[in-house]
Amino acid sequence: MEKWQGFSGETWKNGINVRDFIVANYTPYDGDASFLQKATKRTEKIMDKVNALLKVELEKGVVDIDTRNVASILSYAPGYVDKDNDIIVGLQTDAPLKRAVNPFGGIRMCTQACKEYGYELDPIVYEEFKYRTTHNDGVFRAYSDEMRKARHAGILTGLPDAYGRGRLIGDYRRLALYGMDYLIEEKKKDKERLGRETMTDENVRISEELWKQIDFMQQLKKMAEGYGYDISRPAESAKEAVQWVYFAYLGSVKEQNGAANSIGRISTFLDIYFERDLKEGKITESEAQEIIDDFIIKLRLVRHLRTGDYNDLFAGDPTWVTMSETGMGSDGRHMVTKTSYRVLNTLYNLGPSCEPNITILWSENLPENYKKFCAKVSIDTDSIQYENDDLMRPMFGDDYSIACCVSAMKTGKQMQFFGARCNLPKVLLMALNGGKDEVHGIQVAPEGPVYDGEYLEFDKVIDRYLKYSAWMAKLYVNTLNLIHFMHDKYAYERLTMAFHDTDVERLMAFGISGLSVLTDSLSAIKYAKVKPIKDERGLITDFKIEGDFPKYGNDDDRVDEIAKFVTNNFYNDLKKTPTYRNAKHTLSILTITSNVVYGKKTGNTPDGRRAGEPFAPGANPMHGRDASGALSSLNSVAKLNYCNCQDGISNTFSIIPSVLGKTENEQVSRLTLMLDGYFAQMAHHLNVNVLNRDKLIDAMNNPGKYPNLTIRVSGYAVNFNKLNKNQQLEVISRTFHDKM
Amino acid sequence: MEYGRIHSFESFATLDGVGIRYAIFFQGCPLRCKVCHNPDTWNFEGGSTYTARDIFDKVARYKPYFKKGGGITASGGEPLLQAKFLIELFTLFKNAGINIAIDTSGAYMNDDVKEAVKLSDMVILDLKFPSEEEYREYAKGSLERTLEFLDYALALKKEVWIRTVIIPGVNDTFEAIDRYVEVVKNRDISKYELLGFHTMGFYKYRELGIDNPLENTSSLDENKLKLLEKYLLDRLNAERER
Repeated sequence: MEKWQGFSGETWKNGINVRDFIVANYTPYDGDASFLQKATKRTEKIMDKVNALLKVELEKGVVDIDTRNVASILSYAPGYVDKDNDIIVGLQTDAPLKRAVNPFGGIRMCTQACKEYGYELDPIVYEEFKYRTTHNDGVFRAYSDEMRKARHAGILTGLPDAYGRGRLIGDYRRLALYGMDYLIEEKKKDKERLGRETMTDENVRISEELWKQIDFMQQLKKMAEGYGYDISRPAESAKEAVQWVYFAYLGSVKEQNGAANSIGRISTFLDIYFERDLKEGKITESEAQEIIDDFIIKLRLVRHLRTGDYNDLFAGDPTWVTMSETGMGSDGRHMVTKTSYRVLNTLYNLGPSCEPNITILWSENLPENYKKFCAKVSIDTDSIQYENDDLMRPMFGDDYSIACCVSAMKTGKQMQFFGARCNLPKVLLMALNGGKDEVHGIQVAPEGPVYDGEYLEFDKVIDRYLKYSAWMAKLYVNTLNLIHFMHDKYAYERLTMAFHDTDVERLMAFGISGLSVLTDSLSAIKYAKVKPIKDERGLITDFKIEGDFPKYGNDDDRVDEIAKFVTNNFYNDLKKTPTYRNAKHTLSILTITSNVVYGKKTGNTPDGRRAGEPFAPGANPMHGRDASGALSSLNSVAKLNYCNCQDGISNTFSIIPSVLGKTENEQVSRLTLMLDGYFAQMAHHLNVNVLNRDKLIDAMNNPGKYPNLTIRVSGYAVNFNKLNKNQQLEVISRTFHDKM
Repeated sequence: MEYGRIHSFESFATLDGVGIRYAIFFQGCPLRCKVCHNPDTWNFEGGSTYTARDIFDKVARYKPYFKKGGGITASGGEPLLQAKFLIELFTLFKNAGINIAIDTSGAYMNDDVKEAVKLSDMVILDLKFPSEEEYREYAKGSLERTLEFLDYALALKKEVWIRTVIIPGVNDTFEAIDRYVEVVKNRDISKYELLGFHTMGFYKYRELGIDNPLENTSSLDENKLKLLEKYLLDRLNAERER
């Protein structure tokens, strides 16, 4: 068969341009969900097997670990869930849910993780890595004392200095559209072109990177051969297109264990192949659904080996196989296709699930049928999240994808240096204590006098805070520069980056945690009277608040302006320090589940929060303080300026079903209106949970009753049973909007 | 300038009217319904005062949510007792193109009330009991005045929803439903909803130290409510077809 038979357009044929291919060929779908087909008998049988394995995993933590073969593309024999019945093939190791060891980030993490699950890393791996510098080795050789202290005190936490940085999205569609041989040729051309330029540091580095990319592209061809496929050529059918995309992604997650390897924006692309096969009568709707179902099953099985410390930060074993769905095209057509529906339908056919992290790129102009179906899926499964396409499209075009939770990137054209987050409430406490950490009493930031005076005066406090946040911002940029230098040097993502343009644009993604705590603290100081209380060390470790003050989350400009101010200020401070490889500074207000750990490491704060209490997640108002109803809470968050937070502003929202309406129709319609209203105000992101608090309490006490209870936290979904007790309690304490 | 006395605001009221509605709960009520779950709205001296402009500025921020039948709902307490203020407030919302609903007991009628109803788009009316005796006993109100209000709103061609709270042991029978049907059957209402009595407001009586006359009554069974509501709607449809 001719490779691109029946496809229109020319531009995409003369150079890599997946977007142009999509625009020239896709079929928007305005209808409803009634065409969707149920899971086939085969799919049900496979799911029985998968569910049995998941049960073992939930009990034991891991199903198995291959402690001997170090993760890479060709380290393992082909693996199957069910060799005779798999439609889409390929696993990270030779068996489903068996985890690989990946010591490239750091061998200590790897040893520790094996130990925690009762395994031991094979001596041969130690032997091999004795002669190898890991990313972690490199970083710790170069860290300054100040960086180590900031890390120890918990103002910088979760830094990717001992594991893969992730937050990358390869343009895996390229493999299906062009085949590997063409992609390799293009990379070779890039390398030759570079050789004719001046060999600066940067050009030497890129040349070596290109060699590594090509090496791994060749290896991926071998891996696919092991499964009986020749990916050197373009995909010729829908099934092959899905398989090719999956192989490209699979190679990436075999090679590296980055925190969030997201799959990108693929359903509209794949739909073109499905439409062609359906039109030619090669497949039925039921077979189309079956292919998607099997693909999604494989994505649900992606795993990395992590330590307990890591799980405290990123709870529930997430992999963020974030799948970005629909949105609008720049030409004014929506990008909803039948395959967008098929993807959502997997949540019914296979049951609710955290992965892939389905992210709807919401626009006011999406077709009403599709909006309602999304809302219904949210109400039924709590498994999907929403991000504002009308806000992102003008900045990222119409072929961007989301990595991890809320990080937008032009697919295949931008990458990011992930930067975890910085604890701003703690910076405020250090500012009051002359640079000393209020928990350990050690000098972390530059030394100054401890705040003196009976009450905290707003002007004086702000003055101090601004000085220390400027110090923090500089240290933060420098720390990340060092980490990503070492990551590129010792743990470069060869295959993932092969699915990016060679002249990729780099973003450096900084983050804030504790925004609502900092904001309310400053509001208390400004609008109430706050008396600092010193301990025997002479450090301010407690506060007495006299009077009331406006709290973030009630659509009250007096305090919401403070949230905007501290965010904008921090971003501007970050921009003052140049970045590694001239990456563009970006900022997120997203905590994943690290808000619990950050809270644990932070003393009493002037807003009345007690030491150790969790922060609110992401950009959320503090638990229970958003007392003016659901929409007021949303409106406060909507005020934060996305232009200064282009790595995302995360908001997690829980509401009980009866508040949305009595009937399913009412609930669906109101949820749709709510999303439209929130996003019309240029808000960025919303995680939606429609469930009862009682159900969560019951699930905490009787996990066996709720094997698939999925809930949305800070930008991704988790299986509630996989959270530890503290995290479960924190989720339960979050504000549920339950007024009627 | 008029000041409004407000008990509270709720930005996501979804049971009052259609779409997403912003509810403004007015302070003060002349009735003493035994089923009231908001006794904290009775006292005319409670709440906080606002100008119409204050409230408008606060609520107009929510306009993006008010598509497809959303808007504001003036509830209470009894909003009609502050009808002069309502006129000012409703004029602002009307000029901004925001839909206005009044949630009322219909216990009041004067020129200001008439003007406020004219400015509104829909009325949600509590029809508490189907007879004067029961009205007096359980609500300290009057059926006649309620119907006078209802007929006024209908004459203005306003969309009217009727609501009745079903209380165990008081009006939870088919026979009682028949009597409600007799009251409304020749009136052109858009919707009739039954609400189940619940005990969620009991704590307020305790906090306020007010005697709770239905203290020993339990919440209405949900299935019973559904059954009665189905019966009511069937009867109303039958009447309409006649």
